[in-house]
Amino acid sequence: MSGQQTGTEVVEPQEPMVIQQLRGKFSDHILTVIDQRGELSVVVDKDASFQILEFLKVDSNLSYDFLVDVTAIDYSQMEDVLIEYGYARYMLVYHLNCFPTNERLRLKVPVSEKDLTIKSVVALWDSANWLEREVYDMFGINFDGHPDLRRILMPDNFEGFPLRKDYPLRGRGEREKFNFGRENV
Amino acid sequence: MGLESKLGDSFLTTTIDKVVNWGRKNSLWPMPFGTACCAIEMMATLATKFDLSRFGAEAIRFSPRQSDLMIVSGRISIKMMPVLRKIYDQMPEPKWVISMGACASCGGVFDTYTLVQGVDQFIPVDVYVPGCPPRPEDLIDAVMQIQKLIGDETVSVARMAKREEISQATLG
Repeated sequence: MSGQQTGTEVVEPQEPMVIQQLRGKFSDHILTVIDQRGELSVVVDKDASFQILEFLKVDSNLSYDFLVDVTAIDYSQMEDVLIEYGYARYMLVYHLNCFPTNERLRLKVPVSEKDLTIKSVVALWDSANWLEREVYDMFGINFDGHPDLRRILMPDNFEGFPLRKDYPLRGRGEREKFNFGRENV
Repeated sequence: MGLESKLGDSFLTTTIDKVVNWGRKNSLWPMPFGTACCAIEMMATLATKFDLSRFGAEAIRFSPRQSDLMIVSGRISIKMMPVLRKIYDQMPEPKWVISMGACASCGGVFDTYTLVQGVDQFIPVDVYVPGCPPRPEDLIDAVMQIQKLIGDETVSVARMAKREEISQATLG
């Protein structure tokens, strides 16, 4: 029968431990928490992103000791996302894995086009070195404190950032007239 | 062998071209430039089932200085193209090039900013192999086409002069 009181209170589903800890320590900096079928994504603001990543790695309860991937998304053509995060064009994405518990966490950081610099996490995970170079190469996001920030996939003299949405698929003539001198070899 | 004993003191006449070409076309030493899935088919071609050694071309050399047939099998990006060109330049004459698969021949489905739309813009290609990737039989056919090409050639300097001409034109 509908509407019958069963005597039990409706219990809010409890947030995972890591989210609770993050909320306790960085409540002002957490913008969104998405839990889709057990896949956790946390959107945090840029100012605290390094502290949060450091907390996630160093704190023994969490110890996300493996940085799986660093990548970025250009949301310039997705109005709803732009509105949600104050017209920050790029979203930097960190994928973390915790070896002891095999738990994963995705951390997203909106990066505005006005300030395309974010603190490098090479100091925390060595694997960030090449991953951040790839993001720099493809999106033009700079990483403050990176030991060797130069292009990794495209040739050194390449101009433009190919994974930005305003970059034409067939390029701007690079493949037709690239520098083919022997000094390039 | 025993053949010598049958021949005894006799001899046979031929031309220099025929003898040299016979040797060249039955002992091709390929330089594999495998950058993508075509290279897997190339490996299959070399392995036991298809066995490229039946055509005398099984001696794969990973040093360009010991090879005379370059098999470009895979996508070539604008960053890889100078490397390919350098390896091609390091191969001693006479040399031939097979452009294997759609990507090496015309860019294939990768009509993008980074991919060379056909290696023939930068190195002279003798035989193109269509397919994505081509089957080993196609590559064997290409090797046989190369053998045919070699059979028609002469050991005179004309070939090298032509090649130098193409080389200069592509270097710009």
